[in-house]
Amino acid sequence: MLTITGLSKRHGPRTVLSDVSFEALPGRVTGFLGPNGAGKSSTLRILLGLDRAGSGTALVDGRPYRALRDPLRTVGSVLDGSGAHRSRTARNHLTWVARASGIPRRRVDEVLEQVGLAGAGRARVGTFSLGMGQRLGLAAALLGEPRALVLDEPVNGLDPEGIRWIRRLLRDFADAGGAVLLSSHLMSEVAEIADDLVVIAGGRILQQGPLDAVTAGHANLEDAFFALIDAAATR
Amino acid sequence: MSLGRAIAAELHKTATLPAARVAVAIAALGSLGITVLNATGIRAALDSGQLDDVGYTSPVEAAFSAAPLGTVGAVILGVIAIGSEYSANSSDAGGGRQISSTLTVLPRRLRLLVAKAAAVVLLLTGTAAVTLPTCLAASHLIIGISSGEGWAELAIRCAGAALYWTLTALIAFAIAVLARDGTIPLIVLIANSSLVSVSILLSNLTPLAYYLPDLAGMRLFARDTWAMTADALDPLTGGLVMAAWAFGLLAVAAAAFERRDA
Repeated sequence: MLTITGLSKRHGPRTVLSDVSFEALPGRVTGFLGPNGAGKSSTLRILLGLDRAGSGTALVDGRPYRALRDPLRTVGSVLDGSGAHRSRTARNHLTWVARASGIPRRRVDEVLEQVGLAGAGRARVGTFSLGMGQRLGLAAALLGEPRALVLDEPVNGLDPEGIRWIRRLLRDFADAGGAVLLSSHLMSEVAEIADDLVVIAGGRILQQGPLDAVTAGHANLEDAFFALIDAAATR
Repeated sequence: MSLGRAIAAELHKTATLPAARVAVAIAALGSLGITVLNATGIRAALDSGQLDDVGYTSPVEAAFSAAPLGTVGAVILGVIAIGSEYSANSSDAGGGRQISSTLTVLPRRLRLLVAKAAAVVLLLTGTAAVTLPTCLAASHLIIGISSGEGWAELAIRCAGAALYWTLTALIAFAIAVLARDGTIPLIVLIANSSLVSVSILLSNLTPLAYYLPDLAGMRLFARDTWAMTADALDPLTGGLVMAAWAFGLLAVAAAAFERRDA
């Protein structure tokens, strides 16, 4: 569903990504795990057509994001918060997104309901907490009933109830055959939610595979993660 | 997705931005307010016979003297159409910018930019189509004499003023795309179109200043009664020079927007 092959990118002299390759499969939640600055956001931004790769490809169903017709009907995404201008209401934001994507207006109410913002549709985004912003971002991602979700640090700012809620939502999404790719630096969260893991540090993929394969031989994901980081540092 | 749908979406998006409503209000109500002020001053001068107090008595000039307010509204609209995309939410709310939503919805950037520019043009021409005739009617009503200009001449000047506003908005839009920000272009361009025009100052030094965008198009709506436009380019040449500035800047902005990371 989401296929990343040989992705490299530099910012001047700094290497941001170096030969990054992995896949997010339908019916699976893929956790993209790494410390801050590891290259997670850069990878997701290239996948979503926001940034350009130096080399390599990032494909959605075999096509670059920018070549998708009405991309929101194929991939929903959330990057840093709501993605809405602060002077807009939640409903107004979702309405222009729907309109630009050829999505029927009734979906706006449906997704507001689905993410628990039904009562906040007329509130301005500027008055939202981080958690409410994340919910609004997710509402926009779900608007086009996509087959894949790409989420950058989706649990940031969510309260325990919100974290539980998003876990259930993503599980249901994957169980219905959708592909979920989510980045995080929170190990315990990823361990709870992911079927497959991709571990990145310093712009390189350190390991990838099913969760139990990556954690095999370690007490938990955190131990496995730091063993990988240490091994990479001494290489 | 089709260009028509992109334009409809961007039109809805821009028109529902509170700052866009302020811009339209300044262009429409601001122009009307200044027109009424001008016209009541002229009416008072006519009544008292002290015509030295006013530079002209024409109701048409009273209306078109208010057109610079429309230019201020045009600058605001052009800048915020793109500046709002780049203004960051507070870091408490994730610090995100709307541009990432916009580009994931409409990843074809050239089409997006065309749709946005079209939305600005449609909003402004709509505003001008209502505002300018209203200003003319108001000044005629208040002053109560005719300036003797025919309908055709009036229509041409209205179209000229609307074109001047539109081209100004497109120039402001292109600059905001290049700056990836609204605040600085807004301050500089509003100051230039309302307080001190750099071009007018430069025109004291060199006649080349009349080829700068804001002065070049001045006679699209201003006539010889305006001191500063006495040496300006004629309406057709000036309009073409201003349009060349606008489309040249748009082309540069589009090339940058297409190429760089969001």
